Amino acid sequence: MNLSDVEVRSKTKQVIYSIVLIAFSIPVLMAFSVLVLSSFASQMVTNFDFSKVRFTLRNWQLLFQGRIAITGGLRENIFLYMFSTAIVALGVALVTTLVGTLSGYAISRIKFKGRKFLLLMMLMLHALPGSILIVGVYFLYRIWMPTNLNALRYFSFFYVVFARAALEVPLSVWLMKGFFDLLPWEIEWSALIDGASRLKTWAKIMLPLIKPGVVAILIFGFLAGWQDIIYVRTFLIDKTLATFIESNLEAEMAYMPLLAAAATLYLLPTVFFYISSQKLLFKVYAGGIRR
Amino acid sequence: MRKVFLAVLLFAAVALFASLEERIVEVGKTLERNGINEVRYAVWGTGDPNSVLRVLGIVEAARRINDIWSKNKVNVKITIRETRYELDFTQMYQEFLSKQPLGTAGDFLVNSYVYIASLAEEGYLLDLTPYLSRHKDFLEGFFPTLVEVAKYKGKIYGLPQDTEARPFYIRKDIAAKVGLNLEGLDQKVLKGEFTWLDVYSWSKKTVEMKASEWGLIHRRGTAHPDLMQFILAFGGRLDDPVEGKLVFDKEAIYKWLTIEWVFAREKLLPSDMMAWDWAKQVHPAIVDGKTLFDIGGTWYWTEWQTKDYYTDPKTGQMRGLKPEEVEQWFYYTLFPAGEPGKKPVTLSQPFMWMVSSKAGAQNPKYSALKSTYDELAFLIVAKASDPDINAMHSIMSAKLPITKASAALLANKSWLDKLYNLEVDLDAGVKEKIANIVKATVNPINATFLSNVSYMLEYTNFQPAHPMYPKLTAIFAEVVDQVLRGQMDPAKAVDYAISKINADLDLKAAVKIIKDIPKDWRFPAR
Repeated sequence: MNLSDVEVRSKTKQVIYSIVLIAFSIPVLMAFSVLVLSSFASQMVTNFDFSKVRFTLRNWQLLFQGRIAITGGLRENIFLYMFSTAIVALGVALVTTLVGTLSGYAISRIKFKGRKFLLLMMLMLHALPGSILIVGVYFLYRIWMPTNLNALRYFSFFYVVFARAALEVPLSVWLMKGFFDLLPWEIEWSALIDGASRLKTWAKIMLPLIKPGVVAILIFGFLAGWQDIIYVRTFLIDKTLATFIESNLEAEMAYMPLLAAAATLYLLPTVFFYISSQKLLFKVYAGGIRR
Repeated sequence: MRKVFLAVLLFAAVALFASLEERIVEVGKTLERNGINEVRYAVWGTGDPNSVLRVLGIVEAARRINDIWSKNKVNVKITIRETRYELDFTQMYQEFLSKQPLGTAGDFLVNSYVYIASLAEEGYLLDLTPYLSRHKDFLEGFFPTLVEVAKYKGKIYGLPQDTEARPFYIRKDIAAKVGLNLEGLDQKVLKGEFTWLDVYSWSKKTVEMKASEWGLIHRRGTAHPDLMQFILAFGGRLDDPVEGKLVFDKEAIYKWLTIEWVFAREKLLPSDMMAWDWAKQVHPAIVDGKTLFDIGGTWYWTEWQTKDYYTDPKTGQMRGLKPEEVEQWFYYTLFPAGEPGKKPVTLSQPFMWMVSSKAGAQNPKYSALKSTYDELAFLIVAKASDPDINAMHSIMSAKLPITKASAALLANKSWLDKLYNLEVDLDAGVKEKIANIVKATVNPINATFLSNVSYMLEYTNFQPAHPMYPKLTAIFAEVVDQVLRGQMDPAKAVDYAISKINADLDLKAAVKIIKDIPKDWRFPAR
């Protein structure tokens, strides 16, 4: 095999690619740096003139005290907002993963009438943005919502999780179907011949083999729930970090460094997941290419 | 003498609310008879951070009603289950709009009167007219103009909570440097003898003498409501109530844009003004003495004290101004007339206590007792309008009081002292939440300021409560920015604005275009 057939580049090319990539990343990195720096500054950092900027932990202190202003303002329970955000994110992640893996497995293995149509419809659903579906979703919410406020509070979480997860399911099903397609039937047959049930085969034999895919859709689901604003704002009674930031951002009198701290806090899980799962996500993409 | 005055005031307040109190007891008894022992409501409020009494006023009113019930042996209690306070009032309006039909919005909403029209049109607000006609003496306590703007199609949908004026601030130290005599200037402005032609010439002189970096600083981002004062100062109109249409007065708008154009071209006003940061650029420029004139609002007065906008030359650290510094540095008048022969103006945006048409929907037996829950909701906002609650809100937020009784309290030094020491009749939780604002804002200097600017309400104007108004002001904001940056001259900007209006069929139908660009008008006059 000729060495040039595999993806090995010369050192010069690698350096050039790296420089280009870094150049493209600079605006993004600068935007994030400015945000993070502002969260530790007495005023928003909008350029690299630090002469008037005083670095402080006060914004973070104010944020965790739930204060949206230096003086005045009502205390906000930022921990409760984080908790609400986490419930939605974890809920969406779990529903997406469960439905995605089970459906992906079924669609991959069972040839049934309308299978192709179902897959195409799912792809179409994924192509539609969540915002245009919201009218119908709102209508259904109004039909099903309980009248008791306490029940409604729990229902709103339940509804947001399922409505938001529904938007993520098509992609996860497609992704998981691809993974199951890659696994040879023989592995499954031998498990079934050895006496394992369908469910046991799926759980004990198949699932460990498609771990990167499961983790990927879990992360995508979590991030989709964590970042959602439209569904959360429309249906959820409680606030999340996203709605908290949004509701105070546009006001002229907003204390922006504090909102920068809130935005940095909001950004942390996304950064954490992308960094920690980078290798795993590469496997997913590599799998896609190979197939 | 002061004690007698206070006693009379107290008696008047008691007499005023006597009938309200009777209704409170009646409503409580009705609830008790129906087996209700707890009534729950939620309140949503919005605005600057010092205006927390917009929601805590409801909490306090509930406590006062609970006390009345307890005194009359009525075994019912109001619990305010949720208080939400946000800075951005458009966001809260939109959230109310989407959640009210679901029954998950607040039972009370404190927001700008401009939203009354659209919310009432949708049927989302409780009509307060029947209750207010029963308590005419209570309604008469409010300044009548403020009640007028709470009306939509002849019905009253809100109770005034506060209002403000938009003074034209002048830096006293810079004025002294350039020889601008401030003695009696407010009277000259009032008579139309000091106009925008004078603002221009003094700005020019100031910048030329390098007494300050800028001649004028105004608000950023949106053109409304501050900059709309230009239209009024040039004798223009914002709406035509008879036809129910918004008005685009080409002449007044052209003159306004010409001022922006001339000031920016001569570097008396920053050409990127509309993009300036509120906390990092606008206010520091004003408090650090980088401008002679500033178009602002009454709330600036305490905002400068409670936010760290000022860079102390001794320490190099940013801090809030002391009340004495604000008093020493800032002079205030009405917004001057556009040109000789025109009148000075100011503009107010009253905030309202609004009651959701679904108020109390989360309580037991709601369908059977809807009228009782509605009336109780009205009584709560009526109690939240107690003179002392309103006066506290006024001084804490530098907004103007909405009744004569609250204005009188603000002028009372011993009451202010008690408030400063929090020796007032208030819920313990509310006291704790307002303690730091009280310490930062309650002082005789601020009270005097509020008293001094109250006369401006006689010259005030209100923005049209028209659903299309925000769209029109967005166009104004865009053209002001273009004019300031020199990308369009005033005449072209007027044409551009008209083309934008015509491009939106709804807006086109809602706007009446009047007058023409004056051909022989020059600014400055040569």
